[in-house]
Amino acid sequence: MKAQDLMRRDLTSVELDAPVAHVIYLLHQSGFSSLPVLDEEGRVVGIISERDLIRAALPGYVEMLQSAAFLPSLDRITRKLREIGGKPVSEFMVRDLVLARPDDNDLYLADLMIRKGLKQIPVVDDGRRLVGVVRRIDLLHRLGQ
Amino acid sequence: MILTVTLNPTLDKFYWVDELPLSLDRPEEAILIRSERSLSSAGGKGINVSTFLASHGVETVALGFLAGHTGQIILQDLLARGVTANFVWIPGENRTNVTVIARGREYHPLLIHEQGPPIPEEGMRIFLRKYERMLRQADCVVLGGSLPPGCPPDCYRELVRRAHRAGVRTVVHAGGEPMVRTIPEGPYLVKPDVREELRLGDLPVGTAEEIVQAGRWMVSQGVRASLISHQVTGDILVTPEGVWELEARVPLATFKNLVGADDALVGGILVGLTRGLDLLEASRYGMAAALATAEVEEKLCLSPAAIERELPQVVIRPRGER
Repeated sequence: MKAQDLMRRDLTSVELDAPVAHVIYLLHQSGFSSLPVLDEEGRVVGIISERDLIRAALPGYVEMLQSAAFLPSLDRITRKLREIGGKPVSEFMVRDLVLARPDDNDLYLADLMIRKGLKQIPVVDDGRRLVGVVRRIDLLHRLGQ
Repeated sequence: MILTVTLNPTLDKFYWVDELPLSLDRPEEAILIRSERSLSSAGGKGINVSTFLASHGVETVALGFLAGHTGQIILQDLLARGVTANFVWIPGENRTNVTVIARGREYHPLLIHEQGPPIPEEGMRIFLRKYERMLRQADCVVLGGSLPPGCPPDCYRELVRRAHRAGVRTVVHAGGEPMVRTIPEGPYLVKPDVREELRLGDLPVGTAEEIVQAGRWMVSQGVRASLISHQVTGDILVTPEGVWELEARVPLATFKNLVGADDALVGGILVGLTRGLDLLEASRYGMAAALATAEVEEKLCLSPAAIERELPQVVIRPRGER
């Protein structure tokens, strides 16, 4: 099965100058764990995830999260998120992208997700424009059928 | 690719009942109406056109605003129907439109339409950037349905203007002042919604002659084609080349749900144009799609085979011929 048969044709995304507060709002509303970031031409130039935002709010905290014994005050996160809320997503997004093409097959996608630890991969056309998103759960759902 | 814009999406809910006892003779009692069957689906004119196009394999992207839990349901329904969705999320809750259809009065349903959430300024700014970007990939834009509260009545005019600047053909499938204001921009096709008021601005459209006059006026202002419903089973098409009557020769008793028929009409015309048909033949396919849609309980008939079967029922003739 190919990416174009598996993907959600949901083009929910943000632009480079979208403020962090809007990204958090959109992640919450859309139910995605990450969003593609587009340039003026609509090309995917970055990805912003919940993890990137936590990392931006508290550098080093993501690594600490791996050890469940440590939990700092949530006030600090709140304060920091407010501080960066107006800053553009371009300052915090990941630019080293993993993208899929519509004709990539399911084995390739599964391999990418496992090796890179990804929950979802944007699918782009020849012009690098977003055409859909393959989520790990979509793949699991199809494989389980 | 055909872009559709639905600024005020809805979750359409349909209830079928044996009868609709809307009597006020018992003011002290609540009126309980039991529904034997119900259906719900993503709606709004643009969304319905996109759903129809996707079922015919025509590439389409639906744009607009989603909000709240209802917005999530609308999105899931659209994605499940193969439509590509590119919405702006805003605070609030999308509307739910209720249609109650009583047995034997299927062509005359009871409709309750909510207003929908207001669009924040920031939401509109994000939408316009998305719209401009998607126009670069579009062959045609369909602007469909009512405007949400607080949206300026010039909104559709501005969207038509931007589409024309990008060299993209426009279809305005809406009613009232927002539709009338697009006319000076010369959309390719105007399908006015005259359910609430049989008027186009200052012009009445209650009779066939009034519809022709209104259509001729729109064409004189630069509109390429005007298509206005006349009674339940007819439409009148006005273009610079002439005036045509489109008629579906079927009894009203065959109708089960008329709500999506206009959207199937517009979707069918666009499918026809995409296949290279001229406007008249595309309108024939649109009428067949509307007819097939009216004859099923679901809001839209998405079966090309069922639509093809209706084609012989559609009569198109220059106005005045019998």
